[in-house]
Amino acid sequence: MFTLKDSVKSIATLLPSPRLLPNESEAEFQSSLQGLLSELEKPSPLNVALVTQLNECLWWIERHTVDKELLLHESMAKILCRADTYRDVYDNHLVSAALEGFFAGNASKKEKQWVNDLLKEAKLTVSDLRVRGFKDAAKHIKMADDLIHRQYQTMRHLQKSIDAVDFKSRLIKRMDLELATLENNALAIDAKSS
Amino acid sequence: MPSRPKTLSNRRNAQRSTGPKSDLGKLASSRNSRKHGLNIQVDFESSDVYASLKLLLSEEGFSPFMAADIATSLLHYRRVMDAHYDTYISPEPVDELMIDMSVKDSMPIFREMLSEPDDVRDMAAFFANMQRKEQRNGGPVLRRTVDRHKLIRHQRHAISRRSEAIRHP
Repeated sequence: MFTLKDSVKSIATLLPSPRLLPNESEAEFQSSLQGLLSELEKPSPLNVALVTQLNECLWWIERHTVDKELLLHESMAKILCRADTYRDVYDNHLVSAALEGFFAGNASKKEKQWVNDLLKEAKLTVSDLRVRGFKDAAKHIKMADDLIHRQYQTMRHLQKSIDAVDFKSRLIKRMDLELATLENNALAIDAKSS
Repeated sequence: MPSRPKTLSNRRNAQRSTGPKSDLGKLASSRNSRKHGLNIQVDFESSDVYASLKLLLSEEGFSPFMAADIATSLLHYRRVMDAHYDTYISPEPVDELMIDMSVKDSMPIFREMLSEPDDVRDMAAFFANMQRKEQRNGGPVLRRTVDRHKLIRHQRHAISRRSEAIRHP
């Protein structure tokens, strides 16, 4: 019989754990994994591997959700560029990052001023820019949605697999008990006949 | 670092190349379009990890056949997700030079490099075309989204393979 600690240890030495992005916290990943593992009724190495994959799915969903917003920012930066507002300082990446801070509400004063200047030159309001950006990026935002949907599908499959493994281990235990009972009965019959 | 006219000229000449001649060059260029490598068959069964995983699953009560299937499917899934990660972390780089250049402003450079007016026009058209292509590819987030979208079918395949292996009657 595997304990949770044994299972985690044995599977961790064999299967490489999911890789995290440089800005992601290993501690947060482990804490979310432990939370899921604690819900396992009968931990086994396979169950632990499947739950780790489930946790990885959750992290991918998070990343894709962030990417959806970033796609919108890139698209908005492109619109501002098309309006010829920053040819001299052309850098989509910088404008995209400034927009990210602007919409998240944590842009510096300089960045805020820059975005406002760009909007003024392009003769656009923030909401106009957002609507146009969304329209242009719709196809690619749908791709990010597809990626999120794939992770949800994967999670459904994983849940079914975890159930199947759990059911299988219960079935094995029941069969073991039945076999033990049959053996005991057989021994009892042997003892009676002798 | 080569000068801007030199870089432009090198890029143009590279387009006229008929490809590598030596075996080593051909081998190197055969890997050019390789993005994630998931279409290449991998023999998991000869790896030590596979053997250990199979043993661990057998100890869990799976038959040798099922343990082998599950071990392969787990390693296959890990490989697909690693490809997802690699594509995410290092998308095809944005060609800043190409995006940043103004074809119109570069005409004097082209004229300096080429004597025939037709050649100058060809070169301008070539760079305008490359620039449009580069702009269509978008920024790093768009690139990584498009590239990872292509991996969906590999992930779907890996999942169904794993589910089949685990829920095998």
